[in-house]
Amino acid sequence: MTHTIPYPDWQATLDEKARTFLETARERVAENGAEVLPVLFPQLPRRLGREIPGSGLAVVQGRVWDWGAWRACDLAALELVEEAEIPGSMRVDLFLHGDMEERLMAMRTLVPAPVTDATIELLGEAQRTNTVPHFEAAICDSNLLVRALEHSAFGIEDFNRMVLKLAFIDLPLSRVLQATEHANEDLSRMLQDLATEREAAGRAVWADTNRMIARAPTAGTLARLIGGLEHGDDRQRLAAAEGMAALPKRSELAELARERWEREPRPQIRTALEKITAP
Amino acid sequence: MRIFEPHAHMFSRVTDDYERMALAGIRAILEPAFWLGQNRTSVGTFIDYFDTIIGWERFRAQQFGIHHFCTMGLNPREANDDRVNDDVMAILPRYLEKDSVLGVGEIGLDDQTPKEEKYFLGQIELAKQHELPVLIHTPHRDKKKGFERMIDLIKDSGFPMERVLLDHGNEETIKITKDLGLYSGFSIYPHTKMDPRRMVSILKEYGMERMIINSAADWGISDPLLVPKTCIALEQAGFPDEAIEQLVWDNPITFFEQEGGRLDRAELEKPANIDRRETWDGNSVLRGQDPEKY
Ligand SMILES: [Zn+2]
Repeated sequence: MTHTIPYPDWQATLDEKARTFLETARERVAENGAEVLPVLFPQLPRRLGREIPGSGLAVVQGRVWDWGAWRACDLAALELVEEAEIPGSMRVDLFLHGDMEERLMAMRTLVPAPVTDATIELLGEAQRTNTVPHFEAAICDSNLLVRALEHSAFGIEDFNRMVLKLAFIDLPLSRVLQATEHANEDLSRMLQDLATEREAAGRAVWADTNRMIARAPTAGTLARLIGGLEHGDDRQRLAAAEGMAALPKRSELAELARERWEREPRPQIRTALEKITAP
Repeated sequence: MRIFEPHAHMFSRVTDDYERMALAGIRAILEPAFWLGQNRTSVGTFIDYFDTIIGWERFRAQQFGIHHFCTMGLNPREANDDRVNDDVMAILPRYLEKDSVLGVGEIGLDDQTPKEEKYFLGQIELAKQHELPVLIHTPHRDKKKGFERMIDLIKDSGFPMERVLLDHGNEETIKITKDLGLYSGFSIYPHTKMDPRRMVSILKEYGMERMIINSAADWGISDPLLVPKTCIALEQAGFPDEAIEQLVWDNPITFFEQEGGRLDRAELEKPANIDRRETWDGNSVLRGQDPEKY
């Protein structure tokens, strides 16, 4: 059994009853293996609680995740999953036949583990499920989505569909760690099409659109970014300015940025505009 | 008036029902696992049904501020069916530990066959092991004999009477059950069987203690608003608010409340709350409406 949890003290926040439950659960797993997990998993939220005991970024062999998203029951689930050396098929089973909470824990406990066939299968479920907490547990607050690209069964088109979903349900790009490093023109086109559709329907556009498309410009990207500088929504304007600052070629935009800078009331956006003009 | 509806098969109801129920004061619903109107031929369809009533159905209720719970069990009709009975028994222990599962049910007798008795007793044992109460379906035919037989079986099993809810009762069965210490359930129906007027006279005679009423709404002619409608009939008959609240709120909560915190009375004080932008398996009841404005 290998403990990957660089978060030793979380159990100190548990009361006596919860600690005893976890201890007994761990013993049952040690004795019987993963087959007892389907009966233990649903009990974890009510026995261990849903409080988040801590925060901080974990970095283990290229796997990065934010403990700030982990509740006591998620941490307990991780301990049991590791103790059981859970087979991939059981991870999938815990998701498919779990309630809302079990599904969430099944997704979250993928994050610190190596990417396997089960990870890819469950990312497929996340792609289709779209229950925001399950999608978040799989994709957000870690670099799992980026790590999945190491697996032969998960290509850049799968990555793109996930990011498009992220945009569709309006979650922040910053929560998918390292995602911007994999920007590509195809994704830019998909995000721009979504933005156009939303605009036609008079609905809000994902605020991170300009942040992502600027990193892999395609037809229409530049016009979107420039238009974004005049957007009435501060978040949209900031994303456009930050996107522009990330453009590979931006020298000819310096004049536009300076002109906007003079009229821009928000200090944070002014700072981003200054980066566009910087050499 | 806050109402805990302890028996409604929302699986077979439309979303409008949830809205009307919420507006009529129904704050929590318990959905007993049941027969789907025709027999299932493999355990797989049970699994999908169980997953639905702990998943999508719960999610659907929460979008209307309603807390959704269920009971899990092999219904008596399909207990007779060897294509599914043993396999369902094998998957039940897992489902009985789910957060929203508050009991074993509906179990019981229907045609009163030896097989029904075997799986009834098997599920009484499961209820003991998982420390859950039992919700018992009583026969529609030969009701009095069925009641007496079930009470004998429960007594012999040593299962505590105060953890038994014997449902679908009437004027006859209450005479048998009133002094046994168990909970007596009455399903109110629109035209036939027990209607609000008959219910009022039973309650006048026997009082509110350990009495529970429900609509048993399903895919047949039934009305998910019959508990609130019966509340009005009770008010008209002069029952005080506290007595009505005891009947439609305190009694079902007291019965289903248990160790381990699956049903938290304090949680029920607030409506269920869910981010309306969420979807379940890509499916939202909002149909593109703005969650803020809905
Ligand atoms: Zn029923």
